[in-house]
Amino acid sequence: MPMYGDLGNKLVQHAKRTQNLSALPAYQTELVRSVTREVRDLDRDVASMLEPFQGSFDPSENQATACTLLVNHLSMRRNKRCLLAYHRTRTDKLEELVWKGADLIDLSGQGMADGGMNGNGNGEGVSSGGGGSGGGVMSNLSPQEEDYVRQYGDLLAAYKGQWTDIDLTGSLEPPRDLFIDVRVLKDAGEIQTEYGAINLTKNSQFYVRQGDVERLIAQGYLQKLG
Amino acid sequence: MDIDDILREVDPAHHAVAREKQDLQDLTRAWIAERSAPELLHWPSGGLFERINANIKRQIEKVEEMTGDMDPRTNFALIVIQTELERYKYLVRSYLRARIAKIDRHTLHYLSTDELRSRLSEMELAYATRHQALLHNHYLSSFLSSFPPALQNLNDTAGNISMIDPPDLESAVFIRLLRDTLVEGRGVDADGAMDGKESDIVILRWSDAKPLVEEGSAELV
Repeated sequence: MPMYGDLGNKLVQHAKRTQNLSALPAYQTELVRSVTREVRDLDRDVASMLEPFQGSFDPSENQATACTLLVNHLSMRRNKRCLLAYHRTRTDKLEELVWKGADLIDLSGQGMADGGMNGNGNGEGVSSGGGGSGGGVMSNLSPQEEDYVRQYGDLLAAYKGQWTDIDLTGSLEPPRDLFIDVRVLKDAGEIQTEYGAINLTKNSQFYVRQGDVERLIAQGYLQKLG
Repeated sequence: MDIDDILREVDPAHHAVAREKQDLQDLTRAWIAERSAPELLHWPSGGLFERINANIKRQIEKVEEMTGDMDPRTNFALIVIQTELERYKYLVRSYLRARIAKIDRHTLHYLSTDELRSRLSEMELAYATRHQALLHNHYLSSFLSSFPPALQNLNDTAGNISMIDPPDLESAVFIRLLRDTLVEGRGVDADGAMDGKESDIVILRWSDAKPLVEEGSAELV
């Protein structure tokens, strides 16, 4: 029989592992539910244990009961911390992705790609346009997390909107050169620059203004050379 | 007209008032300090960022104006201005991001007292409040709502452990002294004090360095 807190510990291990992964692993719906259930059970135990005392419980007279109560209380709090830590680690990761400009479709798509690689085969049946609610089955995100990403994206956009000239999500590397060499990794279509339009076809190479293509580099269309 | 003239012409500090130079210096200093200090510092008052924004806007307009000009001399000036502009924007961006990162890490802490709240700009305050609300909502809908009501708070202090995590004010920072002053620092085994000379660089705990920085006797490096 698992001990109190075993499940919580598992969550923390998941969280720890998540920190070092580039992609977000699947949400542990079952585990979260079990830990929550454990907390509710413990709370019920506490209530039923206190019931005969009718609110006049004296710890020094019933030391054994007092000890059980203490352990139960601590286990509940510990489980709560584990849950919070797990969710916070994941939201931190999600926020990071939002800052990088990934949108929900990308995130859900990531889950589908993982599913395909694991050989589940289920991923193939889901159309790629099915991000968001449609792709929910294969997504590594819980529905709540999908909501969170959406709302955080809005929040960030609102904050960013107040600094339009700065491009808050731009590169945090100090700018060295105004112009850089880039190679096109994926067809990105035509972009407008102040020196005219450039057609970004795969495997071609350009000398462009960094500010014009930063977005595309972050999204993986272009690669910076040199 | 030689190269110095051109450089001088595009140097925003030259033909405008010294105020812009001062602003840039203030921004740079705020940026360095914000990146080194373990806790969030005060949002600069006195409309610094309004002026900076206006400057950036003006330069962007200037770039747009000059772009049509095919004269090689303008072209060169254009590159200088654009490079400078990118750097300026980088400073602002990096500064804002450093602050946001700190706010995100200890949101509840910075929202907990008026003194701490006053360090945030209005926009940051709105962002932090909303972000915290989002997080809380997320926790609630994910698991917290099925918890017993007594355990649903995010600011418990039960068992002498506060759930609100403050930044570590004891971590070490480097400071440069701007004038001769006595530097006192607390150590692990013994406390120390020294007569610092101007431009000395010292490493000590932020909690010890903070008063010196605030009274202007030192700056973070």
